[in-house]
Amino acid sequence: MALYGGARDISMFRRVNRELMGSIISEEVIYYKYNVTTTKTNMYGESVEGRNFADPVMLFALVEVGGTTSPVSDLGVDFSWPLTFKFLRDDLLSKLNEANQGQPFNTYQQPNIQYGASLHPEVGDVINYQNGYWEVDNTNATQFFMGKDPQYPYYDADGDNPLNTGLENFGYNVGIECICHYVPSDRLNIINSRM
Amino acid sequence: MSNIPIWPGSSSFAQVSASYYDLNIWPPPTPFGFYDSDSQFKTDANKVANFCALRLGYPIENVELQDINFWAGFEEATTIYGNELYAFQTRDNYLSLEGAPTSVDVNDDIVTPTFSTIVRLSQQYGEEAGVGGNVAWLKGRLPLIPGQQRYDLAAWAEAEGIVGGIEIKNVYYQSPPAISQLYSPALLTGQGGLGGVPPAGLYGFGYGSATYLMMPTSFTMQNMQAIEMQNQVTLSNYSFNIVDNIISVFPIPGTGVFTDGDGGLDYGIYLVFDFIKIQDRIDAAFANGTNKISNTSNVPYINPTYSKINSIGRAWIFEYTLARAKDALGLVRNKYSSIPIPGSDVTLNGDNLVSSAATERDALITRLREYFDQTSRQALLERRQAESVARVAEINQVPMTIYIG
Repeated sequence: MALYGGARDISMFRRVNRELMGSIISEEVIYYKYNVTTTKTNMYGESVEGRNFADPVMLFALVEVGGTTSPVSDLGVDFSWPLTFKFLRDDLLSKLNEANQGQPFNTYQQPNIQYGASLHPEVGDVINYQNGYWEVDNTNATQFFMGKDPQYPYYDADGDNPLNTGLENFGYNVGIECICHYVPSDRLNIINSRM
Repeated sequence: MSNIPIWPGSSSFAQVSASYYDLNIWPPPTPFGFYDSDSQFKTDANKVANFCALRLGYPIENVELQDINFWAGFEEATTIYGNELYAFQTRDNYLSLEGAPTSVDVNDDIVTPTFSTIVRLSQQYGEEAGVGGNVAWLKGRLPLIPGQQRYDLAAWAEAEGIVGGIEIKNVYYQSPPAISQLYSPALLTGQGGLGGVPPAGLYGFGYGSATYLMMPTSFTMQNMQAIEMQNQVTLSNYSFNIVDNIISVFPIPGTGVFTDGDGGLDYGIYLVFDFIKIQDRIDAAFANGTNKISNTSNVPYINPTYSKINSIGRAWIFEYTLARAKDALGLVRNKYSSIPIPGSDVTLNGDNLVSSAATERDALITRLREYFDQTSRQALLERRQAESVARVAEINQVPMTIYIG
């Protein structure tokens, strides 16, 4: 059994992250999940009437803003603005996930947990940030506290790990980074219908 | 594991207490439950938890503690206050408490100083001076053998069955008093002098043998001084010394004129001395302390009654609770030097909280001890004396009028 990075510690980390990202930094973005099933494609697998997205989800994020450039090519002058959005992975899990469940405070206060987007970032998704749109080029979810991802306790068929038990309660997969490039809004099927 | 709840902004000590004590639902409101039944403790517990949370930044920031953390600090602060108070009381009164029954209610009793322990502590000096004490002085009688000057006192003690050795306090080996030679020892009625040296004869310095005339006291004193001077000049000096358990007597016994009926030496003479058994002296250090206060750990102070603590004490307890809460919060935030956040990590203020809490706790303890020390019996008497001196000096400022009767 591992010794450090247990569930109580992770609960503390999660809370600090949410306080930091939600109450102190409070940087919000709108995430548009690419909807594969409703997007029509041609024989080459390319979308034909524009891409369809699921309903937007507002998320707290840490945004690493890159510098803007205007590369010149044979097609003319382009515009490039790379951004990296970093999300707390627990915020993207289901509301039913343990990470988004609270415990009653003693016997007289019930928890009030509001997180849980049920969202899996993938290439092609679009993120709205400060009235601009960024398309996800790549995702990176390899930040493990104590080097352990609790999703992999390495149990055998009987649910046992002969060397270490309870590994699912240790370690932390902290966040997901979405590395994006700027996309002009006219290329997307997204209309800002409400302020 | 789902998220561990943290301070939500309010607490209910009564509810947690009821759930634990009535329904046996974990956790208990405080670790030891010393004051859980005290109604004012229950009331103040919620207030002090709120006070601490607000001082720690809530609601602007999260306070990663629960109500039971605050209450644990509250209980500890109250207990430490009692410890400091009763440790001070013990220090101030221990001479009067030592030896008292452990059943006394020292928490509420007023302790009046007594001499009991002082007298007991002084017994050793009386014992050494031979005027009391707790070690018996015993009489020893060592038969003197004609012609033998040296005697082994250790062997004598062993023969007497004394274990652990003896310590000689007095040796009665000295010349006969002059008064015994003032009258003639030859009085046939046996009412003459006490005998002794010099040889029996019609010695009687001035008082005859059968009858005597009452003389002025000054005359008697002169005669006695003359006898003493005579003995000192003409006779052997009575003396002794003791080296390594061997007592040597001077003069050597049997050189005098003590004779038996056959004209031989009188073997019935003894060296008398006072001694104590060394084991007695050691044993005197101990007394049966069963059910009695024998050290500071069994002075029967118990935890204070919270509701009886005044506002001065409670204010100290609140401050100390805050220091404990700050310490606990610092330890929570300081378990890991940095907290991972997406793509980076942050360092929390755990170090500052812990060091700040330690400084505050030390300052509070120092303040409390100084406060108690200023109310010690000695300090109060000194203050009273100073006030008295100051009062007299003040009165002396009043101009003296000339009274014309």
